[in-house]
Amino acid sequence: MNDLGEFALQLAFATTLYGCVCYIMAARGNRIDLYLSADKTPLLVWGFVMVASICLWKAFLTNDFSVEYVWAYSNTQQNFFYKFASFWGGQKGSLLFWTLILTSYMAVVHYQNRTRNLMLVPYAMTVMLVMTLFFLGLLNFSTNPFERIPLPPEDGRGLNPLLQNYWMVIHPPTLYFGYVGFTVPFAFAIAALITKNLDDGWIRLTRKWALISWFFLAMGNLFGAQWAYVELGWGGYWAWDPVENAAFMPLIVATAYLHSVMIQEKKDMMKVWNMSLILLTFVMTIFGTFITRSGLIQSVHTFDEATLGFIFLGFLVVIVAFCVFLIVKRLPLLKGKNELDSFLSRESSFLFNNLVLLGIGFATFWGTVFPILSEAVRGVKITVGPPFYNQVNVPIGLALLALIGIGPIIAWRRATFSNLRKSFLKPLTVMLVAGVALFPMVPLSSKSEIYTYITFMLCAFVVTTIVIEFYKGSKARMSLHGGTFIQELGSLVWRNKRRYGGYTVHLGVVLIFAGIAGSSSYSVETQKHIQKGETIEIADFELLYNGLGVTEQSNIKTRVIATLDVLKNGKKIWVSHPEKEFYKEQNQPVSEVSLLSTWKEDLYVILADFNPDDESATFKIHVNPMVSWLWYGQWIMAFGTIICMWPDRQEQRRRLERMKKQQAIFVAAQE
Amino acid sequence: MKHFRFILAGIFIVALCLASNPAWSATVLGDIENAVMCKCDDKCGKVLINCNCDTSEKTRTEILKQLESGLTKEQIIQTFVDKYGETVLSAPTKEGFNLMAWVTPFAMILGGGLGIRKLLQVWIKPKGEATAEKPASESSEISKEDSLGGYSNRLKNELDRLES
Repeated sequence: MNDLGEFALQLAFATTLYGCVCYIMAARGNRIDLYLSADKTPLLVWGFVMVASICLWKAFLTNDFSVEYVWAYSNTQQNFFYKFASFWGGQKGSLLFWTLILTSYMAVVHYQNRTRNLMLVPYAMTVMLVMTLFFLGLLNFSTNPFERIPLPPEDGRGLNPLLQNYWMVIHPPTLYFGYVGFTVPFAFAIAALITKNLDDGWIRLTRKWALISWFFLAMGNLFGAQWAYVELGWGGYWAWDPVENAAFMPLIVATAYLHSVMIQEKKDMMKVWNMSLILLTFVMTIFGTFITRSGLIQSVHTFDEATLGFIFLGFLVVIVAFCVFLIVKRLPLLKGKNELDSFLSRESSFLFNNLVLLGIGFATFWGTVFPILSEAVRGVKITVGPPFYNQVNVPIGLALLALIGIGPIIAWRRATFSNLRKSFLKPLTVMLVAGVALFPMVPLSSKSEIYTYITFMLCAFVVTTIVIEFYKGSKARMSLHGGTFIQELGSLVWRNKRRYGGYTVHLGVVLIFAGIAGSSSYSVETQKHIQKGETIEIADFELLYNGLGVTEQSNIKTRVIATLDVLKNGKKIWVSHPEKEFYKEQNQPVSEVSLLSTWKEDLYVILADFNPDDESATFKIHVNPMVSWLWYGQWIMAFGTIICMWPDRQEQRRRLERMKKQQAIFVAAQE
Repeated sequence: MKHFRFILAGIFIVALCLASNPAWSATVLGDIENAVMCKCDDKCGKVLINCNCDTSEKTRTEILKQLESGLTKEQIIQTFVDKYGETVLSAPTKEGFNLMAWVTPFAMILGGGLGIRKLLQVWIKPKGEATAEKPASESSEISKEDSLGGYSNRLKNELDRLES
């Protein structure tokens, strides 16, 4: 099977190379025979990569430690899910997994466009094949996942204990689906540039791909935050780690893109800008893989054998140079109408929204690369950690939150001051009332608390604007159609999925902002070394320590579990079981957090240390308010995105009309 | 529009001021833990306050001892810098070359804001031209919005435009 996997990768590489050459020659020489031949390659490549992936999975599931990668990331004690997920636990497998997703997307794009978009597809497929070729080149010539060990050991080293969490099965694939997904809009953007089809056709074609990729990237980031929260045991969920930043940056740039394309679709403006944003989003996804695999930056996420830095850097440079060259070359054709009616319009608010989003993206990028810059310029390596990002990104984030509220209440094209006054009156009133109501309740002794207070006020403002949009829209429909409020609300959303789905996403974002603000300012923590029978008090909770238990879970894993009764107002509400897990051949034990989560706050208990002789133990306990708001916000965002992506009958009708027109042109051209 | 540059400059200065003092936790120990990185053998890359490894526990004990011996927060942080170099600090200092780390993001936003302002000046049509070009039905759109049924009209128009 391993030979078959290796052979499949070689075949995939050769087929991809053939596909690239054929597509280019077919497009340049107008050779239909070559086009028909090349047209088979996306599915073939997908098939070969799938075979290679199945071979690697089989090696994991059958404990085939003759494969070096399986030996390094699995062992006989790992359960099925971790063996399955070990596939992407290391650099080699993760590259194969990336290639598998990329070729799967390519096969879907090929199937979707088999009879349409014939101008763009050959070039878009070429771009995707070139990307595939790069990854297959790495897999065949640099990081072969089927590399063999001459004398296979009896057991493997096993997956890093920190990765042995159910999120390992969910978080990396979700993130990869997002990262890789942006290859599709990127490929079509490049195709549009090459073929000079620079209307909004490529945007419409790839709108859902961009949305789906954005969705996965957003979910991937938030799943990662949840994983860090329950696994890393420091009480937080986001540490501005360089690799977290690498996943956050494309998300931010893609968010800017999703907003600014609306202006191009409506007003045929900002073509260069939108093109640049989608290219930048893709570049950022490759930058993320470069960071993880370069070995330049220390992070809990980087791979052990981070040796591909220069290859990825070279690839990145080539992509950037090619994109810049194409945009500069097509600059005269990218000039849109570029006319606005007023400074006070939703269009200009979108420009500022883009500015702020890119400001956050840039600050994050700057912080990530500044240590490298400092080392290059001064010869001194410095660290840029959470204090930097919190101080820089929080004020910019507040501006973004305000814009989320301001955007929907400014009319397209032109707004008047009297109109604005009327639209802003209610949201501003609610914001001020919220501010007055919260003033006696929240502490304002530090800058962090002041930020949080402002965030809560802005959240009230934004929620009001969104609720008013839903309410007024439903009321307007009621007066036009006479249905009930609920019926018309449903109808309003159903008929305008993109608009109201977007507002729903904004509601989720507001909850996330509130959750971040509340949890970063008002969390309390304590650390105490106590004997059995003693208690720890924190916030409204009292924790009574009842002792330690030891469980030999397997030959390689021993769990030390503490038991604490949790009391609130003298009443027992929960039993907490924080634990430490010891793995054979691992220096550091892994803490397993015990978590009681409610909408109001999380009680977060960590067993920091223990003495097996007298059963005394050190506990670190956090009470983190409003953390669950982030996860609620995440699901509301997911719901909103699904509304946006839901197939629209009217959109389908328009697409069919466009297809008919295209087919008519194609048939005429053939004749 | 007239005072746009001053407003942007004001926002820039306020943002810099807000960013100038760290929003650290109240306790001195927390401040120090937030200011330095964990220097464990595993190179975990975490801020000390976020780390649970054995080295971080030892470092905390060391800091507590230094605090008990009467050293100030700044002196303790300096001992870490002397021992491990500038890389032990969790954020760049606000002096010399490192100041660039703090100023550049805000300078970029300020520059971007001025750029957008310039673009808008170019893109926005003169009032007379805009009114002349606009069809009668559209120019009356705004005034209609002020009336009782204005919202319905605006919504209908926007939805029609979205769907077209």
